[in-house]
Amino acid sequence: MIEIKDLKKIYSGVTVVNVPHLEIRKGESVGLVGNNGAGKTTLFRTILDLIRPESGEVLLNGENVAGHENWKNYTASYLDEGFLIDYLTPEEYFYFIGGLHQLSRAHVDDYLSGMADFFNGEILKKGKYIRDLSKGNQCKVGVVSCLLQNPELLMLDEPFANIDPSTQFRLKSLLKDLNKSKGVTTLISSHDLNHITDVCDRILLMEKGKIIKDIATNSSTLNELEEYFGVGQIIGTPAVKVDEEENH
Amino acid sequence: MTTTFLNHELKAFWRSKNTGKSIAIRVIMGVLILYLLINMLVLGFFLNEILKKVFPHDDVVVSFCGIILLYFLVDLFMRLQLQELPTLRVQPYLQLPVKRNSLVRYLALTALFSVFNLWPFILFVPFIVRIIASDSGSLAALAFIVSLAGLTIFNNYFALYLKRKSNLNGWIFLIAAALIIIAGLGDFYWHFYSIRKISYLFFGHLIGHPVLALIPVGLGVIMYYLNFAYLKQNLYLEELGSRKAAKYKSSTEYPLLSRFGSVGDLAANEIKLILRNKRSRSALIMGLFFMFYGLIFYTNHIYGEGWKVFVGMFMTGIFIINYGQFMFSWQASHFDGLLVNKINFTDFLKAKYLLFTIVSTGFFLLTTPYVYFGWRVLLIHFVMFLWNIGVNTTMVLFFANRNYKRIDLSKGAAFNWEGVSGNQWILSLPLLVTPYIIYGPFALLGHADAGIAILGITGAVFILTRGFWIKQLEADFYTKRYKIAEGFRNK
Repeated sequence: MIEIKDLKKIYSGVTVVNVPHLEIRKGESVGLVGNNGAGKTTLFRTILDLIRPESGEVLLNGENVAGHENWKNYTASYLDEGFLIDYLTPEEYFYFIGGLHQLSRAHVDDYLSGMADFFNGEILKKGKYIRDLSKGNQCKVGVVSCLLQNPELLMLDEPFANIDPSTQFRLKSLLKDLNKSKGVTTLISSHDLNHITDVCDRILLMEKGKIIKDIATNSSTLNELEEYFGVGQIIGTPAVKVDEEENH
Repeated sequence: MTTTFLNHELKAFWRSKNTGKSIAIRVIMGVLILYLLINMLVLGFFLNEILKKVFPHDDVVVSFCGIILLYFLVDLFMRLQLQELPTLRVQPYLQLPVKRNSLVRYLALTALFSVFNLWPFILFVPFIVRIIASDSGSLAALAFIVSLAGLTIFNNYFALYLKRKSNLNGWIFLIAAALIIIAGLGDFYWHFYSIRKISYLFFGHLIGHPVLALIPVGLGVIMYYLNFAYLKQNLYLEELGSRKAAKYKSSTEYPLLSRFGSVGDLAANEIKLILRNKRSRSALIMGLFFMFYGLIFYTNHIYGEGWKVFVGMFMTGIFIINYGQFMFSWQASHFDGLLVNKINFTDFLKAKYLLFTIVSTGFFLLTTPYVYFGWRVLLIHFVMFLWNIGVNTTMVLFFANRNYKRIDLSKGAAFNWEGVSGNQWILSLPLLVTPYIIYGPFALLGHADAGIAILGITGAVFILTRGFWIKQLEADFYTKRYKIAEGFRNK
């Protein structure tokens, strides 16, 4: 599905993405983790042909994304609010996105009615433009507009960050269902290690632009990741060290 | 505090993505301003002789006192169109321990750095020193200068106040401009009253009673505080007002546009963009203001036919110029979304053409009443309408590929205004000049008809070959898309 070759992106002398080779097969669910500045969003943007890499290429279904537009037919993505047309009402936005994929209004309405649970009554028919929604609700609009496109490849950048706990659980089951029963390839980044190991079968760990770990999720993955991120800290035992100088 | 703000502003200027372009514009502006100042200086030195020539029957001092108020009326009109609002992105400072007063004071003080505030002194002080000081003594001369300062400050803040108000509501600008035009017409066209007499009434008495100079100073001070209070109040409103419960926003459809398929959908989205955001809506309403241009130029016989070409282009194409110069920036906040979605760039461009054609047609229809000044006026309007939707649209889109500056539509307009100001007019210079390059030579050689015919034909040819231009623009866009997208992400 996705093949990356010798990909490099440099910003003012600093290599922010450096991926010599990466292949993601059809139907995989891949999670991307890494601290701030590890290059997750930049990697997403290069895959979506939003920024031009210094070298290398990204192939989706064997076709280079740069210079081609075919991949847009089966790829849906939501990275940030910059993907939403914020002066439209959510309904207008869904109709617009649906229209791009030749979906009739009735079809879109039908699909949205199935999302009533996910929306939790906060999105549709509220008489608000997207810009007036909270960040979490904007995220819901973005995610649903992706699903509406019935994609083969779904890319979400930190979808769990701004949404409430109930929606997080609903989103997790949605994503699992898409991947398991519909065979959608998913690429998701998150800072929430619990969620990401729960949803994804394969985890990529990024550090300073490089993918330093590529692991198939199993019961010990979460511990492994926590060990990596809890740099120099012993998890579970908060360091309560009595300062002897102070305690005379 | 003021120096810190100035420092931040300078950094914002030098570190912005568009620094190169802004510097170029500033240099051109600087040269133009210098040229104008020199002209003013010459005018100022010969004002004595000029006044004698223009008003041979009046005493020089009387006619001098007469024109001062007239000058300030014209000054106000020019300021409304050209003076820039001082801007400062206040949001980052609001939650910091920075006094609101010092924020507002900064905005109010920097507003004084405008060439408009130099002009009256350069123009009038030489005369005051040479004639008034020697005739009526230095106290009277001082009173004149103080009055000038008062009126200048008054005009400065009054124009800014009106501009700020009209950011929130474009009609205010229209009404203010119309009132000034009517005030002018009332004197020169209908002869209800004489502005010169009113002006003399005040300045004539000033010679005998220098204390009267306190009146304009008072007006200036009042206007300053009005402006200050308005800004301060808005500083507050900006934050709280945006969260105020607004009325129900309903979804709209344009059935006529949906016939055009995805091009129509894109155009419909852009119409919504224009109508649902303050700034773009103001651009549209300001366009209506230019519908009055015909009244200024056609009622006066000193303007020849060359002006009709200019006025015709402006009236039918002002939206293309005004809205088009920020092209793609309007969509900066969701440009990434447009890029990754299944949108053909050809359709995207076609939608722009469709939008411009619709709006220009609307404006053309609005100008049809000018047929009162003869069929030829209508013909020229039509030719310029063709020119606008043919050539100017393509030019605007060409420049759009070179615009990397983000506009944040969601931000309130009151502190974030780059609309109709001198700088933007420079950008539209190529748009204004090109028709003259074609029409001018013919008109000079006495074949104005041929010039107009060629303008019309060029416009029509461009409309018929749109497909070709769209391909060129698309190819051009693909070489610049990453840069544009990056600039738009740069907040």
